[in-house]
Amino acid sequence: MVTFFATNAPALVSPGLDLEQSFSQTLEGFGLSDQAARLIWLPLPMLLVLVAAVVGVLVTVWLERKISAAVQQRIGPEYAGALGVLQPLADGLKLLVKEDIIPARADGLLFTLGPVLVVVPVILSWLIVPFGQNLLISNVGVGIFLWISLSSVQPIGLLMSGYASNNKYSLLGGLRAAAQSISYEIPLALAVLAVVMMSNSLSTVDIVSQQTGAGILSWNIWRQPVGFLIFWICALAECERLPFDLPEAEEELVAGYQTEYAGMKFALFYLGSYINLVLSALLVSVLYLGGWGFPVPVEWLAGWLGQSVDAPLVQVITGATGIVMTVLKAYLLVFIAILLRWTTPRVRIDQLLDLGWKFLLPLALVNLLVTAALKLAFPVAFGG
Amino acid sequence: MFGFLKQVGDYTRDAVDAARNLTQGLAVTFDHMKRRPVTVQYPYEKLIPSERYRGRIHYEFDKCIACEVCVRVCPINLPVVDWVMNKETKKKELRNYSIDFGVCIFCGNCVEYCPTNCLSMTEEYELAAFDRHSLNFDNVALGRLPTSVTTDPAVQPLRELAYLPAGEVQPHGVDPSRPRAGQRPDQVLSSLKQNAGGSAGNEGESATSTNTSKGSAE
Repeated sequence: MVTFFATNAPALVSPGLDLEQSFSQTLEGFGLSDQAARLIWLPLPMLLVLVAAVVGVLVTVWLERKISAAVQQRIGPEYAGALGVLQPLADGLKLLVKEDIIPARADGLLFTLGPVLVVVPVILSWLIVPFGQNLLISNVGVGIFLWISLSSVQPIGLLMSGYASNNKYSLLGGLRAAAQSISYEIPLALAVLAVVMMSNSLSTVDIVSQQTGAGILSWNIWRQPVGFLIFWICALAECERLPFDLPEAEEELVAGYQTEYAGMKFALFYLGSYINLVLSALLVSVLYLGGWGFPVPVEWLAGWLGQSVDAPLVQVITGATGIVMTVLKAYLLVFIAILLRWTTPRVRIDQLLDLGWKFLLPLALVNLLVTAALKLAFPVAFGG
Repeated sequence: MFGFLKQVGDYTRDAVDAARNLTQGLAVTFDHMKRRPVTVQYPYEKLIPSERYRGRIHYEFDKCIACEVCVRVCPINLPVVDWVMNKETKKKELRNYSIDFGVCIFCGNCVEYCPTNCLSMTEEYELAAFDRHSLNFDNVALGRLPTSVTTDPAVQPLRELAYLPAGEVQPHGVDPSRPRAGQRPDQVLSSLKQNAGGSAGNEGESATSTNTSKGSAE
């Protein structure tokens, strides 16, 4: 779609569907200038991704409630819409009309700024999530690095809201969130670095393209099993999901940094945490599970069926399967995250930091070194 | 050197063990997903309170002799017995009687000691109110009988404790239409009636008739 930076897509992958080009061509057919067509096009993918993110959150909340219920031999939401699908919508509506409370001796400005600072980077990170060769807002050259740097803005917001609440539980929750995010960012970045080293690019599109050669066999999970585990554990810690939900541990800290929040500000935290979960799942599928790639390469399928990859219908089907595959993989991971939530007990803060600094960090370093060695030894298999 | 290697080996073994345990745990939670729900869908389904359930207290004004035993045995002297001495008949005349269920602990001592059995326990437990003073029941309110779970047409009565049908051990894939184990009070009554009819005709067949009635109930 919109490409601010030059894409260096490998020549062997077909350019696929380019909606922006077709759209601009249509508008230019109406006599608009190139610039005007671009200006009209710009907000469309952004809006689309924003809506997709919010719908993704609604689905995730519903899934979380239904799967949690099933794991505990309950039924879960049932009466709001068929099978309770409208329950998250009802929850959101409730939060929207609730009173907006700022505690008496809290810092009003920071208290308001906190949730915004938590949500904005997470939504901004959707910029780099590809659903197809050209189906992303911006193929930024530094793609995955942008996500890592954006996700380190989040703890500042958490710390801010925890400190501004003028509440000891909030402060402790905020501090824990900051400590957790900082200690898990490093192994996360190292795990990503190993993938980046193999695909020779930080761009998410290139990372996926590099995994599309032989379908499921070329997915990074086979070449980076340790990296996959490190990334998934760190992603769970970054999302503050159980077993790493210390910042909001109900039994100890009421609700952590969210304690004093109500109404729309609380909804922002809630939205942020679930968007972050979906985003992390999407990025795991992009980095390790072949992104939009079908288990069998679409090019092969088209070849067996005697169709050209460039035929319009094939392109549309390829695009659709791309979106479905990305979402499917992401939601499989979301399911695992929800199941893990009811399987694992919460770790203690010392165990959390131990795991981060003494286990994941050395392991990620070793993984990086081994990847580098393998890349030098077998450049064919490890993207030399 | 070997010490270091041993450390690394132990560490690896621990990590592998942790992974195995985690997988085992995930298998357990995954296995729970397709089981029959244990929950009672409350406003639509209700558990039948047990026989000697201590719910809201029922009181019969006409039986009461204003002896105030209930007040004496009550841990906090809760019942308010408002009576006056009629000088002419030399008898107590009861005016009002009330119990505040916002304070009552439902110990049942008053019911136990009432000499005329004018106090009794009901199976009513839905005592939520917007104002705690509305829980102070006077003799009129105390005389009302609650709607029974088994006769309320809006409620599906459920037997307590067992959530699986009789004879079922595996909670997986149980048909949702099959009821829980145990008979509902009306089924118990009908089987008793059948039993009585069978025993009047033939003493020897009473056992089989019990069996058939049980079978039909399930």
